[in-house]
Amino acid sequence: MRPATALAFGALGLGFVLLEWVLPRALNPYYLTILTRIGVAIVAAVSLQLVNGFTGQFSIGHAGFMAVGAYSSAALSVYLGSEWLAALGSALPSWLARALYFPIPLLAGGALAAVAGLLVGIPTLRLRGDYLAIATLGFGEIIRVVILNIDAVGGARGFALNAPSGVDLRFEDLGAIYAVVALSVGVIARLAYSSAGLAFRAVREDETAAESIGVATTRVKVLAFVVSSFFAGVAGALFAHSEGYIHTNSFSFVRSFEIMVFVVLGGLGSITGAVIAATVLTAAPEGLRGLGEFRMILYSLLLIVVMILRPQGLMGSRELSFAPLRARLRGRRAAA
Amino acid sequence: MPLLELAGLTLRFGGLSALAGLDWGVEDGAVAALIGPNGAGKTTAFNVVTGVYAPSQGRVLFAGREIGGQPPHRISALGIARTFQNIRLFRGLSVLENVVAALAAAERPGFAEVLRTPAWRGRERELSEHARELLARLALEHYADSRADALPYGEQRRLEIARALATRPKLLLLDEPAAGMNPAEKDALRALVGRLRSEFGLTIVLIDHDVGFVMGLCERITVLDHGEKIAEGEPEAVRSDRRVIEAYLGTAAEDVPA
Repeated sequence: MRPATALAFGALGLGFVLLEWVLPRALNPYYLTILTRIGVAIVAAVSLQLVNGFTGQFSIGHAGFMAVGAYSSAALSVYLGSEWLAALGSALPSWLARALYFPIPLLAGGALAAVAGLLVGIPTLRLRGDYLAIATLGFGEIIRVVILNIDAVGGARGFALNAPSGVDLRFEDLGAIYAVVALSVGVIARLAYSSAGLAFRAVREDETAAESIGVATTRVKVLAFVVSSFFAGVAGALFAHSEGYIHTNSFSFVRSFEIMVFVVLGGLGSITGAVIAATVLTAAPEGLRGLGEFRMILYSLLLIVVMILRPQGLMGSRELSFAPLRARLRGRRAAA
Repeated sequence: MPLLELAGLTLRFGGLSALAGLDWGVEDGAVAALIGPNGAGKTTAFNVVTGVYAPSQGRVLFAGREIGGQPPHRISALGIARTFQNIRLFRGLSVLENVVAALAAAERPGFAEVLRTPAWRGRERELSEHARELLARLALEHYADSRADALPYGEQRRLEIARALATRPKLLLLDEPAAGMNPAEKDALRALVGRLRSEFGLTIVLIDHDVGFVMGLCERITVLDHGEKIAEGEPEAVRSDRRVIEAYLGTAAEDVPA
């Protein structure tokens, strides 16, 4: 194993131990909830970054796809999953049963959101710029209102993840949640930073030129949109299962704007930036809670100041990369 | 058989005919030129050939196959590459990435990218080596890691050609490659076009405003005006053609029919 790879695995392992065993014992539930929400925000922000930052298509209906993931995974867990989980639990130790079960609603929520993304993406991605933004905003709201009117998932009362059998359907395990976050970020980063993934950025930089060199731009845009919707669905499913109760108000256009702010403030085209912005801006309103009613004024001022000082976003389109570190380690080994 | 053939090609925008029944052929292996005053329809002809516009009437044949109305990315896959009048690079990407994007244009990222399989690694290395080799042939290898928009103007033009070559074309369309160049740069470009034709076995069509640049480079020149072909032939003959002179300089007062 190369030293850099060993280092990366070491850091991941350490992070997992910290999140799984140390923090849950050291922090009270309030901080643990914030950490969970940060995880959800990171997945939502990084998935939107693929469409807005890398492919250059301005979509602002992301919360709609989160809602699809949240509600479909929650319905699956409540109506079917609780029985599967009970059956698994009778044969296996509880932690293993839960570890085997929870990927199912996450993947199902992602898959359904991806289908929704495909259906919305095919007509809207023919539009450009402002028109695309308005269309995605509209579709996001349509999804929310449709869910609001489905009584099987609670309608206006909201939907609690309570199984009739009393099986615990909540999933608050920080280590596992951040494993999902790391996996999602990793998949999107690897798609974006590859030769085939250059098609995304080629579309962003110049659609006409991209077509002229053989990029099927519509298909590339739809692909970005579907992958992005999938991970929005995963984020929604994580949210539903960690909160234990969901309401369509959590997925309004205000939430979509919030995710868009993570992406723009972090820097369009930077996955690192989206992660940082999602983390800071999810924690900031909580950290500012002591200021009472001035809290949201300060939060807004923070956004304005950053946009004045760094209009390209915190990171621009750069990434925090381990490549220089890796090169240095390799150099040292070669010298030895 | 000509490699590219336009037959009765008409393109209308509302009441305006940008191309009016254009017949034009380019022989395989030739360096041909399309010239004409501003608004003559030269770039429009390129846009129809590369699929940006679908013809209103008439046919576009490439290697004997009808291609009119197909989308640009499919026409690129068939072997027609182009550059643009106002350089269209992927400005925010590196020089190397501009070329790699063209080499990998038909690929879409999937599980191999996510899993970073050994086959994927090999392919990435191959693409990067191929791209560097192309850059070297256009004397751009030192710029590989710079951002495309940081290149000097002439190098940007060459990078656009490198990117076009990365699609492995049979036919290369250069839209005013000499625009904004000084005489020395034009000479270098002329030499480059000749070299590309033989090294890559290309057929090349280039657009320019006047006969000057294409003299000594092209066997055959076609002159357009108002979407119609007004002259065609060897550069010397075209240069002294009365209709060509009229198109550029206007008609002498005594020649205008009353």
